[in-house]
Amino acid sequence: MIQTVTLTIDGVPVKAAKGASVLDAALEVGICIPHLCHVPFLQDTGACRICIVENVKNGSSRVTTSCTLTVQEGMNIQTNSEKIRKLRRNLAELLVAQAPNSKAIQDIAVRCGVKEVRYPFRNENCVQCGRCVRYCTEMWKANALGFVGRGKNRRVEFPFATRPDFCKNCGSCTLYCPMSITPCGGPMKRGEEHLCGKCESQAVTAPNIIGACTRCELGKGFSCTRHML
Amino acid sequence: MRKFNHSSDLEGFRQELLEERKDITSTIIIPNGTCCQAANSLAVIKAILQEIARQGVDKNVQVHLTGCHGFCEQEPMILFEPGNIIYCRVTPEDAREIVGRTVKGSEVIERLLYTDPVSGKTARTEAEIPFYQAQDRQLLQHNKWVDPRSIKDYIAIGGYRALVKTLDSISPKTVVEEVRSSGLRGRGGGGFSTGRKWAEARSAPSDEKYVICNADEGDPGAYMDRCLLESNPHLIIEGMMIGAWAVGAQKGYIYVRNEYPLAVQHARLAVKQARDIGLLGENILGSSFSFDVEVARGGGAFVCGESTALMTSLEGKVGEPRPKDIHTVKEGLWNRPSVLNNVETWANIPSIIMNGSGWFASKGTKGSKGTKIFALTGQVKNTGLVEISMGTTLHDIVFNIGGGQKNGKAIKAVQTGGPSGGCLPLSKFDLPVDFDSLYEAGSMMGSGGMVVMDEGTCMVDVAKYFLKFLQDESCGKCVPCRIGVDRMLEIVTDITEGRGTREQITLLEELSETVAETSLCGLGKTAPNPVLSTMRYFADEYFAHVDEKRCPAGVCKALISYDILDEKCNGCGVCLRACPHGAIKGEKKKVHAIEPQLCLKCGICITECKFDAIAVG
Repeated sequence: MIQTVTLTIDGVPVKAAKGASVLDAALEVGICIPHLCHVPFLQDTGACRICIVENVKNGSSRVTTSCTLTVQEGMNIQTNSEKIRKLRRNLAELLVAQAPNSKAIQDIAVRCGVKEVRYPFRNENCVQCGRCVRYCTEMWKANALGFVGRGKNRRVEFPFATRPDFCKNCGSCTLYCPMSITPCGGPMKRGEEHLCGKCESQAVTAPNIIGACTRCELGKGFSCTRHML
Repeated sequence: MRKFNHSSDLEGFRQELLEERKDITSTIIIPNGTCCQAANSLAVIKAILQEIARQGVDKNVQVHLTGCHGFCEQEPMILFEPGNIIYCRVTPEDAREIVGRTVKGSEVIERLLYTDPVSGKTARTEAEIPFYQAQDRQLLQHNKWVDPRSIKDYIAIGGYRALVKTLDSISPKTVVEEVRSSGLRGRGGGGFSTGRKWAEARSAPSDEKYVICNADEGDPGAYMDRCLLESNPHLIIEGMMIGAWAVGAQKGYIYVRNEYPLAVQHARLAVKQARDIGLLGENILGSSFSFDVEVARGGGAFVCGESTALMTSLEGKVGEPRPKDIHTVKEGLWNRPSVLNNVETWANIPSIIMNGSGWFASKGTKGSKGTKIFALTGQVKNTGLVEISMGTTLHDIVFNIGGGQKNGKAIKAVQTGGPSGGCLPLSKFDLPVDFDSLYEAGSMMGSGGMVVMDEGTCMVDVAKYFLKFLQDESCGKCVPCRIGVDRMLEIVTDITEGRGTREQITLLEELSETVAETSLCGLGKTAPNPVLSTMRYFADEYFAHVDEKRCPAGVCKALISYDILDEKCNGCGVCLRACPHGAIKGEKKKVHAIEPQLCLKCGICITECKFDAIAVG
């Protein structure tokens, strides 16, 4: 028998398997927590920080990523408070300003309620979610991809920048890359980047059900776990 | 050297050492830490030893090379015991006179004594120097008696007595209780109660536990840990051994950054010496306690000072932080309970055991006990390592110990806590320095860096400097730290280069909050502090940059211009020759002029002009 714990997510008592993450527990029961770097069968690293939630304990709350937070008996989680929405919006804004040329990132921005981008666009090709690296390392045990460098210079790279023999050419890195699908209007050229926003009608905006999963099209864009399983 | 198998052996060895040394009539102490070596202490030592060999002194005069004595401004120094005479800024040329007159003739050379820049008085001894007067040197006082390369010195001053006391008569549980009731808080910056940390690690179930010493100090302008580890490594090892006994660990690591070669060298030597005489290894001093220490070198990443990143690095992986939803005292190094403490925290342990928690708790304020070492740097007359009781005011540190302003410009702020800390303005100088009051004021204790700034410092530029540092040092794993700090730097650069707008200031505030709340590790969580604290106390400077496109301190190059004042310039032509860009035009004996298009605002003309005829506006 699977051992379960009971926790409260957004005021709703939720039963979850012991050892599961809060993100999985929430998605299981249809509470939408947007996420980017999380892939169901890979280890979570908490890199994109989009899936942040508030962990309320003794009256004070701590902001942490739900993918790395393990469920515990009696936990009280807020996934959609005013504070979380604001922080998530700011994070999505940072991401979309960094890499606007991706349907997934644009969809996340819409889902998180980004209305305008206050930073100059950068149009980069990678947001370093690390899906490709983790897939290559954990699923195929190939270790053909890894992170190189630190801070601003950190990037995904083959060992010594050449494709090694142990890369099996499986293509999973491309498959799981959120950057591989361009926005619906086609790739944006430098200087023409903008917030796509065409799918805004898909976003659940009603304040009372904003946290509920409607299996929206946006989720397909950023390979939401609910669409992958 | 022989191995000790019983605790009484160590005491016997100490008596032997004291017996051996009782004939020594006088000691010449020459501090020789990294900072002293940078001030040419090696040449001084060589000269002194040569002179001693040449002139021939009594065999009972001993030359003692020790770690830094704290007063880095006046290095290289020489101390004479007994008598406690201090010579400052000694040069190799002084060696002949020093050996001839002071060592052989017991005569004091007035010219080498310390002259107080505030009162103009000369001081003979440590007690007469204002820099030392206001301090409470509990940890640093041993430095001058201990040669870091000699375990004998450390044993002779009573070292490892706390360990013997612990092994003989104190149970692990009582040690934890003692540390908890002493009120010791982590000196690395966070200020978490050490006793609580130990208690949690002690109760964590595991067959293997670790104690780790964090000597990966990287804050700009801070070097307390380096000084402690390279001057008195056995003190740290003793502290770690007591900690290991208390929590039940068998293995310890000293994680020291490779940029501290002397600290690495001394720590390794100390571990080897301790192992040789049986203070580390199996069944220490005949007890059931086994413990060993390994010195691990860090590759120089600032983020590896963060607990989880440090442990990942120790495991041999890329030093990136892990999510900390489970504390490292439960699952740390190799997923085993691990106690990570700063060098200074470990250094405090032996004296707490020897003198009792009550003694330690009698110093300091309500929430912060004991003493704390600060590295006082910046625009003050006396710079160096300062050890004070918690609760001393910033004013005391900056003006009494530091001696006040250096270049005639009034002091306006002090930056505490390195890149994670903040800037406190002159109006906050009455604050007692302890964990809680600094945190409330928007800064933090940090590891103990204290940089004093005067009117010639632009606070927006300071924020920019720290953001640049953090952007370079961020590991890049999580979005808010990698992209957020980069964007903050972008905005602050815009402000310093005259492109800033009011909206950007609001955005900067909002972004700061996001980065602080959502970052993965402590580096990102505290990264906005320099920006937030300067915005809180020096908002007018930000607005001057944005609204008037003016830098009040005259630092931000895009917002200043150089001008020659007609009434002061006498046409001497010095600036004209000095300017590397050929931007100054003029004839001899006539007023010169600067061509703004050619001027790169390097400031060379200002330093060259003897008549203060060049104005920055």
